[in-house]
Amino acid sequence: MDDSKKKSAVGKEEKKEPSNILVQIAIFVSVLFVSNILAMYMPESFPVPAPVWGLLILYFLLTTKIVKLHQVEQMSTFLISIIGFLFVPSGVQLYTHLEIIKSDGVMLILAIIISTIVLLVVISYTAKFIIMISSKIRGNNNASDTQEVNDGNN
Amino acid sequence: MAIINNSFFGIFVSIVVYLIGVFLFRKSKGFFLFQPLFVGMVLGIFTLWTIQHLTGASPAAVYDAYWQGGTNNHIGANFLFWMLSPATIAFAVPLYKRNDLVKKYWLELLLALIIGLFISLAVIYAATKAMGLSDKVIASLLPSSATTAIAMPLAAGIGGEPAITAMTCILNAVIILALGDQLVKLFRLQKDPIGVGLGLGTSGKTVGSAKAVQLGSIQGAMASISLVVIGVVTDLVVPIFAKWVGLV
Repeated sequence: MDDSKKKSAVGKEEKKEPSNILVQIAIFVSVLFVSNILAMYMPESFPVPAPVWGLLILYFLLTTKIVKLHQVEQMSTFLISIIGFLFVPSGVQLYTHLEIIKSDGVMLILAIIISTIVLLVVISYTAKFIIMISSKIRGNNNASDTQEVNDGNN
Repeated sequence: MAIINNSFFGIFVSIVVYLIGVFLFRKSKGFFLFQPLFVGMVLGIFTLWTIQHLTGASPAAVYDAYWQGGTNNHIGANFLFWMLSPATIAFAVPLYKRNDLVKKYWLELLLALIIGLFISLAVIYAATKAMGLSDKVIASLLPSSATTAIAMPLAAGIGGEPAITAMTCILNAVIILALGDQLVKLFRLQKDPIGVGLGLGTSGKTVGSAKAVQLGSIQGAMASISLVVIGVVTDLVVPIFAKWVGLV
């Protein structure tokens, strides 16, 4: 009883029954079809891969409510949950790179581990500091902040 | 060899080695070296290596059988690789669910990725130089914040070896999935969901983002943003940095 009450409380449009799985697949396929075409026409010096286009297009379709959340959410949750598995063949691909590992060896692997950790830690802390600074600025200039929004609307 | 020149050989091997990983991970109560993807990768490579040595076939022939069901076939484990495209698109959903944060912080997030990448590149460059790695290897490592499709041509452009870059991108993801939890704790990142999301998405790509989604909705949304933005940022920042340190 309590559960059903909670569910109805969580917003009307967001909690519909998931669409037919074929409809969900159809949306993913259509987005991929368009994004593959877009990726094909990007200049070679500035590649934007199809999946990145696809992410942007689907995000755009969701924000404009052309695609509703219940039409893609189930498929999206499923796909994200199996990414680790989908990545196994990419990992096995290292089989073809065994020569590189043999020649450059331990130092290369060590450098890769270091670069991974550096990216994680540095990006995390940079974001933390930038948001800290900006919230101070926003806190002090609240009036000018809202003014800017008004200007944009006019 | 005839037996393994079969579309389902690669998919079969991938799923079995991954499930062994899932089993070991559960039995060991989450020991990081038994992370299913890592176990799957090691066992998968070991399987191919064993077949190569038992049959005396060339490494390329064994890999072909795994990847595309033999030279005359087109589908094998590459089907799973192909599925990563729709899986990447799927991150639009966690992103949309926290659209409030995107609207509020888009400028900060963009700046964080640009400045953060510059600092990361400087640290990685200094560390790899100190380790005595060649310029070719260093140039191959620098673009690895982007996905392979962007990173490989970029590496070639600044004098790196694309194969090393591809390997780096793959290992980044495996490392983040195996060590992510420990690293987040070690560097006390967990208090800052926005930072963790961006960090996991940048360092671990789609796999890191899947990890971020598990941590929470903010982390997931931020990782999804970095998937979109970091590619373009890497494309712009890495050549500038390479010129600046004299790699090109």
